[in-house]
Amino acid sequence: MVECLTDKKVLTKGNYAIANAAVLAGCQCYFGYPITPQSEIGEFLSGKMQELKRGYVSAESELASINMVMGAASTGVKAMTSSSSCAVSLMQEGLSYACADELPFVLVSVMRGGPGLGNIYPSQGDYIQATRGGGNGDYKLIVLAPSTVQECVDLTYKAFYLSQKYRNPTVLLADGLLGQMMEPVEFYDYPYPEIDNSSWALSGTKDHKARIIRSYGPLADDRCRFLEKLFQKYKTIEENETEWEEINTEDADIILVSFGSTSRNVKTAMKKLREKGIKAGFFRPITLYPFPSKRLAELSKTAKKFVTVEVNMGQMVDDVRLAVNGACPVELINKGVGIPPSAEEIVSRIEVL
Amino acid sequence: MQEKNFIIAGFGGQGVLLAGEVLANAFMLLGKHVTWYPSYGAEMRGGTVNCEIVVSDEEVSEVNKADTDYVVALNQASFDKFLNKIKKGGMIIANSTLVKEIKSRADINYLFAPITKLAEEVGNIKMANILALGLVAKASKLVNLEVLEKALDNVIPPHRKNLLPLNIQALKIGYEYDLLHV
Amino acid sequence: MATQVFSLPKTLKGDVKYSFCPGCDHGVAVRLVAEVLDELGIIDNTILSAAIGCSVTTYDFINVDALEAPHGRAVAEAVGIKRARPDKIVFTYQGDGDFASIGLAEGIHAALRGEKITAICINNTTYGMTGGQLGPTTLVGQVTTTSPTGRNLEYYGYPIKLAEHIALCDGTAFSARVSLDSVPNIKKAKQAIKKAFEVQMKGLGFGFVEILSTCPTNWKMSPDKAHARVRDEMMPVFKPGIYKDVTAE
Repeated sequence: MVECLTDKKVLTKGNYAIANAAVLAGCQCYFGYPITPQSEIGEFLSGKMQELKRGYVSAESELASINMVMGAASTGVKAMTSSSSCAVSLMQEGLSYACADELPFVLVSVMRGGPGLGNIYPSQGDYIQATRGGGNGDYKLIVLAPSTVQECVDLTYKAFYLSQKYRNPTVLLADGLLGQMMEPVEFYDYPYPEIDNSSWALSGTKDHKARIIRSYGPLADDRCRFLEKLFQKYKTIEENETEWEEINTEDADIILVSFGSTSRNVKTAMKKLREKGIKAGFFRPITLYPFPSKRLAELSKTAKKFVTVEVNMGQMVDDVRLAVNGACPVELINKGVGIPPSAEEIVSRIEVL
Repeated sequence: MQEKNFIIAGFGGQGVLLAGEVLANAFMLLGKHVTWYPSYGAEMRGGTVNCEIVVSDEEVSEVNKADTDYVVALNQASFDKFLNKIKKGGMIIANSTLVKEIKSRADINYLFAPITKLAEEVGNIKMANILALGLVAKASKLVNLEVLEKALDNVIPPHRKNLLPLNIQALKIGYEYDLLHV
Repeated sequence: MATQVFSLPKTLKGDVKYSFCPGCDHGVAVRLVAEVLDELGIIDNTILSAAIGCSVTTYDFINVDALEAPHGRAVAEAVGIKRARPDKIVFTYQGDGDFASIGLAEGIHAALRGEKITAICINNTTYGMTGGQLGPTTLVGQVTTTSPTGRNLEYYGYPIKLAEHIALCDGTAFSARVSLDSVPNIKKAKQAIKKAFEVQMKGLGFGFVEILSTCPTNWKMSPDKAHARVRDEMMPVFKPGIYKDVTAE
């Protein structure tokens, strides 16, 4: 796919869908370094950004690309980088700085197997990396998890918008399955309002006093005030932007919780359980930060059990347990890495829980 | 329509991913829900390549399903690898130019056709994938020639459009291959 | 009537406390950059990508928009700024720890890509802010807090000659090494800095200046002795000169 398509359903890979959506969202700069299974993003954008006379650098490392994206973001333009797992690890320092500097940009993280070099197959092993981060200090990344190629488009748009609205890096957390899978998608015009960044962006001092975007604050009191303000912002994000999907949860005895591509098989497993007369419900966090903890807590009053299904050794399960806070048991069905367990497998594993 | 899935498999270079993309594109044109998922990465070098297409009237229930309705095997390795993944009553379409005609399972249908040889007769051995697509489309009765031609046009990039007539010719030979003579 | 013959460059803030140690050449180097921005008339169109180390506080002293980069990443952030806003003049002001050590990859690759930015690097043969440890520019034999018996080749290897390395990159438009040990050399330094900005303004490629500087605090020397060390010990190894200038003849 080399064309930038709108107004028409096209069959395309998740990686191309993300890249094309970024172009349509008005992303002015892309910086990246190849890594399977997300290299198509940089491949697509290398041509497209040059054609549109926008910024593109084939960076020397992920250290460089995360910092280039921060540089671009500091001028107020929409900017993006993308990578995968072991290379997203290299970006953690930058993400900490970017939160401290309140720089808005999008990081597309297409998860593969870990730890270490791991393998190139799909995984959800970077839930903790995305929602907790490996950088220093107190910070939060907004994290959006698509489950279909269409959502790769929808949530790429949203990621740009939320990052701009809150001046915070936003992660689109996809995985190798979504990146490599093709589905019909519809592209459409960027649906969000443009955010005016002129009050803080670096542009030269023609119309303002010299601005410094910095994280260094030599005084402890100043730093405390800054952190309080930062976390007030995160509270606002939690109040306004938490998003999830739920089906058949109202009367459910057992609620299956899953995010991203894995949730598709889990949704089918829920339907199969219902066919067997088991009152199962389906719950999918779309924003992993902010996590829909409040809603899960509400549901824990009526549900008898939660089961999280993840392709990792059990990461989101911790957040579900924190949300449920002992009100009922929270079990884990998982697979370390690869294609998610089939609906049949999930059903049979739930039956023996 | 019940959800159906297809695995198209062969050597790297036989164009199985492209054939799968054309099939998925045709289903999209028919307004169906469809997913296309490839094997990717290291196993592409030298070994078999495959992709799975799932088509449904509703949201596709799963990716990488435990079993499959149709397998297209362009080489022996693919035949051996996927034979046991076929559902009872399902079908394998095998390239008899490269695959031994052995019917070791009695609960599935076999369609052996000399796909590579037929492609050579079209004038380009690389058309084997599209020829096979014609075969599986006809056998599944899920998509007609007209839609497949449109899908081919969608998938073949602008700078390769000169190859469209040859692809359509191969598609027709596969589609019109007399299944009754198998 | 009195005539004013000397004043603070417009680029420098007059109302702030400068945090460089007494006798440190950073003060001179920052002033030269400020004078150059004044003279080129680009103060209000320039963005600084600030580095980590003693150079970090530069953004407190100069009247330009600035972004503080993580350690070693000033060039990468400058690249991001420039690619986003090609109409701006973008420069880094880094120490040798930032540019030559942790950020060498970014510097070399920016030079190879011919990024239209200017990088200023202070070479004082030590990590100044952390208290005088051995760095990539520490001279053979030099005693630091992490080379207590002097830089020996067995444990530490050789120092890097930045200006020469950057000059080897095909995308470099200008690369020079200058010294601040004397008034004539300070004048030469200013010309080099100006050139490094001019090649950016003309869109010719990467502009680089390595500035040999003193660190009296960590060298445990008076400023004049420190300048003598620049002359006697540093300049024979790090030879001042213009190593590349695509505008020459």
